[in-house]
Parts: sequence; structure tokens; C-alpha cells
Amino acid sequence: MPSRPDEDGDHLLRVIDSIWRKTQQSWRDDMARHFERSHWSPLLAESRAYLGALRECLEMMSAAERDTEF
Amino acid sequence: MADIHADIDALRELADALARFRHAQREVVERGDHEIEATRASLEAKAGSWRSQLARRQADLAACQQPAARDAAGPAPDCSAEARAVREAEQRLDHIRRWQQRVDEEAGAFRSAAVRFRDLLDLDVPRTENHLRAVISGLEASRRIQVAGS
Repeated sequence: MPSRPDEDGDHLLRVIDSIWRKTQQSWRDDMARHFERSHWSPLLAESRAYLGALRECLEMMSAAERDTEF
Repeated sequence: MADIHADIDALRELADALARFRHAQREVVERGDHEIEATRASLEAKAGSWRSQLARRQADLAACQQPAARDAAGPAPDCSAEARAVREAEQRLDHIRRWQQRVDEEAGAFRSAAVRFRDLLDLDVPRTENHLRAVISGLEASRRIQVAGS
């Protein structure tokens, strides 16, 4: 059964975040702190917001399909 | 000079992973849009099918109620089954239309989140990749100077 796009998006986000955490272990200077604040945190927040909205939307689409099968 | 603690290979890996993330998430967006459109098309097809059924059932009811169908001497024909079938088709069509409205509203509200995310993938993530690659170039240059000076 094919996976849902929101689940794939969540998986991609977990993968990239784990790579970032690994990078953080060897990047601990002012530039790293600036990068996290200005680039990484907004990227995570915006991605999570989109994937949450996509999940809700697709759940409604599934409900609409189910509830109109007569 | 700022204190620098960075593994260039790890930064390269992060920059490459970001490029992969951008491409893969674009596919997620495309698939999400496709699923929404597929649901809308499916609901429209169901509504169309029930509109046809309703028209057929209304015609059956009208035929049953026509004077020609009546036996002048006998009682009025029983058209309750036809009337029931018409009501059922009307209710199902209404039910589908209500879902269509809800789905349109949800899709409209979702669209703004999708536009923001597309902008993030098309503009912000490449900017982040470029920023990382500039950091990597700066670190490489700084290490070359350190090596030359040692």
C-alpha cells in the first residue's frame, strides 16, 4: 500500500533533522548558533506547519471518500 | 577572529542532504495536491452519478403518477417505492454536495500553507544551502591560510 505524502514528508523531516543534530556535534561556534536561529529553526517550523496542515487536509479527503461510498 | 569549531565534511553532508530534502519535499507537495484534486474529482463524479440516478428516478415516479398508468376504475397506483427512491437520491446528492463544500473550504484553507511551503522549498532552502556552502568555502580558505602559515 503506498504511503501517504504527509507521512513521507514527516520521515524526510526526521532524516534531515537527525543529520543536522549530527552536524551540530562538530559545529559549535557563533556561525552555527546563527545558522540554527536564522535558517534551521524557521525551516523546521514551516515544514512542520505544512505537514500538519497536509495531514489534516488528507484526513478530511479520506473521510469525504468513505462517507460518500453508498 | 571568531572561534571556529566545524567539521567541513559534516557541513558538506548537511548541504547535500538539504538539496535532497528540497527535491523530495517538492514531490510530497505534488502528491498532496494530486490527492486533493483526485478527491474533488471523485466527489464530482459521485455527484454526477447521483444526479443521473435522481433524474431517472424522478422520471419513474412521474410515469407511475401519470393518468395513463392509472386504472380509471381501480384505486390510484402505489408509487411509494418510486417516491422513496427519489427521496433517497435527493438525500445522497445533498450529502455529497455538503462534502464537496467542506472539501473546497478545507482545500482553500490548506492552499496558503502549501504556498508558504513551496516558497520555503524554492527560495529559503536554496538560500540556506548557499549559506552553508559559503560557510564551507570560508572554512576551507581559513584552513588553507592556517596550513600555509604553519
